[in-house]
Amino acid sequence: MTVSGRTKIAVLLVLVSALLASSCKKQVAAAPPPPPPPVAPTPPPPAPTITLRAQPATIDRGQAATLQWEARNAANVQIEPGLGAVTATGNRAVNPTSSVTYTARATGPGGEATDTARVTVNIPPTPPPPPPPRPPAPPVVRMDDLFRDNVLDVFFDYDKADIRPSDMSTLQKNAAFLRQNGNVRFTIEGHCDERGSAEYNLGLGDRRANAAKEFLVQQGIQASRINVISYGEEKPICREQNEDCYMKNRRAHFTYNP
Amino acid sequence: MKRLLIFGLTIVLLICSRGLYARVRPVQQSQIDAGTKNGILGVKIAVPEFQPAATDDKTAALTTLFNQVLWSDLEFSGVLTLVSRSFYPIGKFVNPGDVTVEDWTAPAVDAQFISFGSVRVDGGRFSAEARLWDLKNPQNREIKPPSALYRTEDSEQGARLAAHRFADGIVEAIGGGIKGVARTKIAFVSDRSGSKEIYVMDYDGNDVHALTLYKSITLTPAWSSDGEKIAFTTYRRGTPDIEILSRVDRRPYTFQRAGGTTTTPAWSPDGGKIAFATSRDGSDTEIYVADWNGRNPRRLTVNKAVDISPAWNPKTGNEIAFVSNRDGTPQLYIMDAEGTNVRRIIEDGGSVSNPAWSPDGQRIAFQWQKSRTSNFDIYFHDLATGKNVQLTQDAGDNERPTWSPDGRHLAFESTRRGASNIFSMLANGEGEVRQLTQTGKNTAPAWSGYIDN
Repeated sequence: MTVSGRTKIAVLLVLVSALLASSCKKQVAAAPPPPPPPVAPTPPPPAPTITLRAQPATIDRGQAATLQWEARNAANVQIEPGLGAVTATGNRAVNPTSSVTYTARATGPGGEATDTARVTVNIPPTPPPPPPPRPPAPPVVRMDDLFRDNVLDVFFDYDKADIRPSDMSTLQKNAAFLRQNGNVRFTIEGHCDERGSAEYNLGLGDRRANAAKEFLVQQGIQASRINVISYGEEKPICREQNEDCYMKNRRAHFTYNP
Repeated sequence: MKRLLIFGLTIVLLICSRGLYARVRPVQQSQIDAGTKNGILGVKIAVPEFQPAATDDKTAALTTLFNQVLWSDLEFSGVLTLVSRSFYPIGKFVNPGDVTVEDWTAPAVDAQFISFGSVRVDGGRFSAEARLWDLKNPQNREIKPPSALYRTEDSEQGARLAAHRFADGIVEAIGGGIKGVARTKIAFVSDRSGSKEIYVMDYDGNDVHALTLYKSITLTPAWSSDGEKIAFTTYRRGTPDIEILSRVDRRPYTFQRAGGTTTTPAWSPDGGKIAFATSRDGSDTEIYVADWNGRNPRRLTVNKAVDISPAWNPKTGNEIAFVSNRDGTPQLYIMDAEGTNVRRIIEDGGSVSNPAWSPDGQRIAFQWQKSRTSNFDIYFHDLATGKNVQLTQDAGDNERPTWSPDGRHLAFESTRRGASNIFSMLANGEGEVRQLTQTGKNTAPAWSGYIDN
């Protein structure tokens, strides 16, 4: 053991020496000369800056938002749309009706800067739209209209229930329509003017309606399609007391029975 | 032969009633002499005001009403001449001791009868102690009835009813034995609610009630002779048809429907049958007779013309008057109740409608428009003489005459004051014409038979 002990010490010494030597070399390399101070140039004009904010950024239609902006180094500040030239710093209430992005542009000797702020406008649900216009009447013509246009009243002389020769063509046309529309059932109303007793007029109106019915039956219209009612003088269409009016009331009137 | 027999019987009856009357009261009898316009030879009666038995307001008001109604009933009876109160002795006439006969028979008053008494209102009761005295008969001074205590409820209706009863009793006692009509009623058509409905009112226009509320067209009321039922025409089910309601409780009675225009019902005098017009079997209205429920209909006319508005001879039930335009314009015809022996009554042309046979069967009232430009007026046709007597003139249209059951009065509709209203008058066309309705357009009066209430 003694011999080996000496050897170890020697190795250790060599290692320490080597370590020391290396550290010395490093110290010398870490000491360069300081660089020279920079030369100061003429400073360029400062570039403008601008910030634009909307507060609140979301509104309901009809409410207002406030635009706030702050520009520096600017000779001219514009905010679009709508505000135009403004001061460098400020705020302004805006009331857009729909969402919009505001652009603020600051220009100055140093250039130009822009910023944007968006105001979002919530559009409330609109009331339900009016119902679409009714579709135009279907091209199918209603039978009651057709009936009304084609089956016309006939008129009677005072205290008479005979079909007048001049009214026969009307009844013939009525019959033609009724033959073409063989399913149509209808009522003949007999009417009178107000002269004569109300009771007698019930009978006279009945005769008038039946006279019209008999004519139509002779023209080939089935009697079973025809209902007859006398209104006597109870349902005048004209209420003045003159012959014009009386004439209009002495009639057989046809109504469609759906 | 039959007619001769009826004529004979009528004469006998007349003689009997006159004889009876003469024995009891030898005074001049008032007779309606509608044909000759001799005027009413009225028995003179003094009617001093009944006195209230207490001084409260209600008694005073109901006494005043009783006095008004009694006066009005007697004045309109057609039998009596009421002596004006300005001629009466001064005083209050309540008890027999208050009436000095000589004061009332003196020339200033010259009354043959006097009615007087008092009114008491208590305990929910209206009572009138009422007397009728024969001033010229000292042996039988007080006439009973009608002298009696009349008790009703303590309302205006009660006061009216008591006055009506007493008045009817007076008229019956001194008017030849024919009952007064103060408790009869008149049915009519009014549009006051917006549609034509049937209404019923007292004979003097009071106490109006709607019988129907159909909101349709309802027409031509006709009374059963007992005053219990009203038949009429209504459109409420479409074509016009006949229905029947109880006047008392509005209970419906069936009348068999058959289609067509079915209208103008008329009760036979015994109440068992209804004559009416219908177009159920053809192309124009014909007269039929059926049981009063509409069963067993039998056609009486066969004619291509309007046949309408049947009216029974209420005395015999053997004849039916009706309107037909078989000769061109509406005219008046009579046939036997079996449909035979048809004869035209008015030969003078024009337009004739709405016959109404007088209760004694002797006259037929009707409306007549003599030319197309003239108004309708009320006439009657005297069957014995064949004469036509005009009762209205120069007063608008006058239509639909209807007889009171005593045959002394007619109600009718008239435009004499504008819109159609119901009026009544004495059947001789003289005296006051009373307006019975005011609201809306009122037409088609039908006077009831006697009603006991």
